[in-house]
Amino acid sequence: MRRESEREATRWMRSLRTKGGGPLLVAVAAPLLSGLLLVAQAMVLANILGRAVGEAAPLDALAPALALLGGLLTLRVLLGLIGETAAVDAAERIKLALRGALLARLLAAQPNWSGERSSGALAAAAIDRVEALDGFYARFLPASIAAATLPVAFAGFVLSVDWVAGLLFLVTAPLIPVFMALVGWGAQAASDAQATAFSRLSGHFADRLRGLVTLTLFGRGEAEAEACERATDELRRRTLRVLRIAFLSSAVLEFFAALGVAGVALYVGLTYLGFVDLRAAPLSLEAGLFCLLMAPEVYQPLRNMAAHYHDRASAKAAVAEIARLFDGLPALDAVPPAANAATTLGPSGIEASGLSVALSDGSRTIIDRADLSVPAGGRVALVGPSGIGKSTLIEALARLRAAEGTIRIGGRPLDAIDEATLRETLAFVPQRPHLVCGTIAENIGFGRPGADPAAIRAAAAQACVTDFADALPGGLDTPVGENGLGLSGGEAQRVALARLYLRDPTVILLDEPTAHLDAETARRVTQGLLDFARGRTLLVATHSAALAARMDRTLRLADGRLVPVPASRPIDASREDAA
Amino acid sequence: MSAILFFRPLFLAERGRFAATLLLALVALGAGVALLGLSGWFLTGASLATAALSFNLFAPSAAVRGLSFLRIAARYGEKLVGHDATLRVLGTIRAWLFHRLMPRVGALRPGLRRGDLVSRLTADVDALDTAFLLAVGPLLGSLLVGAAMVLALAILLPDAALVYAAGWTAATLLVPALFVRASHRGGAAAASVEAAAMLRVACLDTIDGHADIVAFGARPWAEARFTEEARWLGALRKSQGRRAARAGAAIQALAGATLLGTLVLGLRAHGAGEIEGPLMVGLLLAILASFEASAAVMRSVARLAEAEAAARRLREAATGPEAVIEPADPTALPPGGAVAFESVRFGHRADRPVLRNLDLCVPAGAQVAIRGASGAGKSTLLHLLLRLAEPQAGRIRLAGADIAAVRLADLHARVALLEQNAPVFLDTVRGNLLVGRADAGEAELWDALDRARLGDTVRAMPRGLDTELGEGGRTLSAGQARRLGLARVLLSRAAVLALDEPTSGLDREAELAFLRDLRSACAGRTVLLVTHAETEPGFFDRQYRLVDGRLLPDQ
Repeated sequence: MRRESEREATRWMRSLRTKGGGPLLVAVAAPLLSGLLLVAQAMVLANILGRAVGEAAPLDALAPALALLGGLLTLRVLLGLIGETAAVDAAERIKLALRGALLARLLAAQPNWSGERSSGALAAAAIDRVEALDGFYARFLPASIAAATLPVAFAGFVLSVDWVAGLLFLVTAPLIPVFMALVGWGAQAASDAQATAFSRLSGHFADRLRGLVTLTLFGRGEAEAEACERATDELRRRTLRVLRIAFLSSAVLEFFAALGVAGVALYVGLTYLGFVDLRAAPLSLEAGLFCLLMAPEVYQPLRNMAAHYHDRASAKAAVAEIARLFDGLPALDAVPPAANAATTLGPSGIEASGLSVALSDGSRTIIDRADLSVPAGGRVALVGPSGIGKSTLIEALARLRAAEGTIRIGGRPLDAIDEATLRETLAFVPQRPHLVCGTIAENIGFGRPGADPAAIRAAAAQACVTDFADALPGGLDTPVGENGLGLSGGEAQRVALARLYLRDPTVILLDEPTAHLDAETARRVTQGLLDFARGRTLLVATHSAALAARMDRTLRLADGRLVPVPASRPIDASREDAA
Repeated sequence: MSAILFFRPLFLAERGRFAATLLLALVALGAGVALLGLSGWFLTGASLATAALSFNLFAPSAAVRGLSFLRIAARYGEKLVGHDATLRVLGTIRAWLFHRLMPRVGALRPGLRRGDLVSRLTADVDALDTAFLLAVGPLLGSLLVGAAMVLALAILLPDAALVYAAGWTAATLLVPALFVRASHRGGAAAASVEAAAMLRVACLDTIDGHADIVAFGARPWAEARFTEEARWLGALRKSQGRRAARAGAAIQALAGATLLGTLVLGLRAHGAGEIEGPLMVGLLLAILASFEASAAVMRSVARLAEAEAAARRLREAATGPEAVIEPADPTALPPGGAVAFESVRFGHRADRPVLRNLDLCVPAGAQVAIRGASGAGKSTLLHLLLRLAEPQAGRIRLAGADIAAVRLADLHARVALLEQNAPVFLDTVRGNLLVGRADAGEAELWDALDRARLGDTVRAMPRGLDTELGEGGRTLSAGQARRLGLARVLLSRAAVLALDEPTSGLDREAELAFLRDLRSACAGRTVLLVTHAETEPGFFDRQYRLVDGRLLPDQ
């Protein structure tokens, strides 16, 4: 099960590569090309030293070779710059594509899906977790491809100069991963367990931070701080036991790197002295120096990869976290819903029969085979105590929550109406509207992108937004939302009503539009609403008797069913008006 | 660096281990340099030797093997000691952060509740923790290796020493310093943080406003805004990355120039007979090997910049003003559970007060409900009672004493708060309850659970009180989580219980049952309950409505 999801994560990360495009190819190719130039560089350097020392060549004679060396060094610097720049570009492309895919995944879900999750954690996934993939694509991926190819290529070049040294590299370099795996094998299981312990401990720390208010108020902060320190120390002890073995795998890498240099030096030296004689022709100083210069380089790509290994680990952790939060990894090529020209259905009634809605965990049925019929242009109030399911019912009618049974808008099944047409036809204002980060005017204009300031101002006036906005120093241009002014519940609701007034829906669903308002404001807001709703179908969930009294009909939600309330009997849930 | 230096005392506690790490790193680097240098010298010497017997073979070959093993052992030791020290510091930093955040919870509360502050703090602690291992250590190491190399050149090849010193200093000090300055110039680093914050806001807006966005057909709007912010952040990160790439290229170019310069000088010295061939080759190979240390410089500088930013954020969070100040000369808190608000005024912004001259008098043992619309300031009222925030005017009395004059610990022991979204800790049921009272016995735990109507649920769990909750363990439904929070509050010895929306997440039936039970569950204690639910007559001694920042009698 776990292995399966890991395999899927690996596949998914591979498919994410294509988002890197050309820059990713350049980022991978540049180090390979630079590696080939390195061979030439070592040849020229060995040539210079060999001729200078072995043949006592004067400096002037060496000048062309020195110039060539300078040229090669410059080229490699440029290649490094190109590769790095391309890697950065590729990583940014990938992150942008992924962030878009995550947002699309989020918006494609029903609103109650995101409502049931911590918005902070989801946002952290889309921003911080995605950022953690940066190192994987920008650094680890090019380094790992270089590590897979360059050592063998280097060994091949050395082989053409001296077969013993070449064979030494050819055998040891590819063996390194094998030996590292062998050493790491035993450590792997333990280190996996350790990684789990470590992430659990980090989780524990984050968990206690999250509950810091509770801990402080109960006077437990001190004790938890100590417990946290103790637990971390305990982890340290256990981790070090594992690290002692785990670091052996990097010691293997060091061992081979040292062995390569020492082995070549001794072999070449002994050949010169005549103690070893495995060659047909005598070995020149230049050739010997070339072998020695290449010795550390053969192992360098492997060490680079090892240095970026933690990028891979953190990317994998980030992917696992994204998969957990988003119920699986998002499709990367999700086609956004076609923005076809929206039309409205025209005057429409609402029909629902056998409507049932259960809580998303399936634990309880809130609406139980309810029937509802509102004729086109009809106005109906929906009443019932808090928590009985009025909001749930309205959300189901607005197709913001999955429901069983049939719902028809204007005679057409709700499921069969395309998204754009539905939203043009049907408007919904939730009980606690969300104000986006921006000015009040921008929040109203959200209702109809491109609305002109005069229309926004008129809508604001009709929804009594100007009552409080005009008293603010910035008026309608006062920033609200995350970093701005906190509006009260009643103020936010009026802004949301103003949004509605910029639209031209034929069906309006409202959830407690006048809650949180004093009686006088409620009366004026209601009047504005009724003016706008003339000729449109209106369904309002409310506690306000005054608002309910202005509808054609009142339905009470009780035991999951809708029951008509006789017009003569005033409803009792009228405390808002008493206040 | 100033922010990292602020945390110096935490690291100094492990200075012995960090010094050992640095020393071992130097030995490893030095052995690597010496190994290649010695090999070059040996190889050249051997090729020049006219007669095999005249060449001392034994010493160099033994040294080559010795250096190889020294390097392996030193690297291994460096890793182990470094990780040990780092893990030791991790515990210290975490505990330190806890201590510093506790007096500031009032101000930090919103970020802690949303969780974004938590994920930032944990990531920052990790980044700061590895600052020495991944940044400071390697940087110091490469500086010292360079210095040692200069020293060796000064003795053996004096002409080249200056060239090498200049190249090395420029590569390991000048370029990183210029890079850091360029990153800060024009507020590039700050802009990047700002862009990330704006992207987060756009993302939170989309999540929190999901229903509004769908209902108003504003999905293209939301996607366009998010993409725009993401592009902006990407562009800033890209220019930062390009700066780093240029700095890396500059270091590589300096290394190349140094190699070329020392090579020419070495060849000239050799031509003039000032230096022997084998020694010159050995020195050049050693120089080449020493560049291995400079390759890591940019990586370490980037790590250091991250650690610095993390340290700055941690310092800010941990040294911000304490929202609530412990009284210098506390008065004793007399026994009793009477609560009184006297003309209390409070607003998150002074010009928009949430509570205006609010008065409330709750006798000891009375149970009071406060209803009101969301956003009316009900929770604020309870937060003021626990001094999670301070009123701008007026006074709050507990058992007759001004709460601003009593010790916070005394206040917290007297008043227990059931927060909205009270946390369920990753712990057993027992561990979660013991937060309320550490020394509670088995019988008391069950009693609290029963009174919160969670006893039967826990009895049905396979391991009862020892069932693990939260991630990896069992997850409670919203209603069960509320009840667990309530049981925790009931378990405490507090005489006053402040309950913030204890029934949210419960269905109506359960809500009514809960409110009906409350009187007996909290018998003998003062209860302040705020809710937007409808109550029924007889549940409470008194009911109020919070309207326009004042309390009005309800019913």
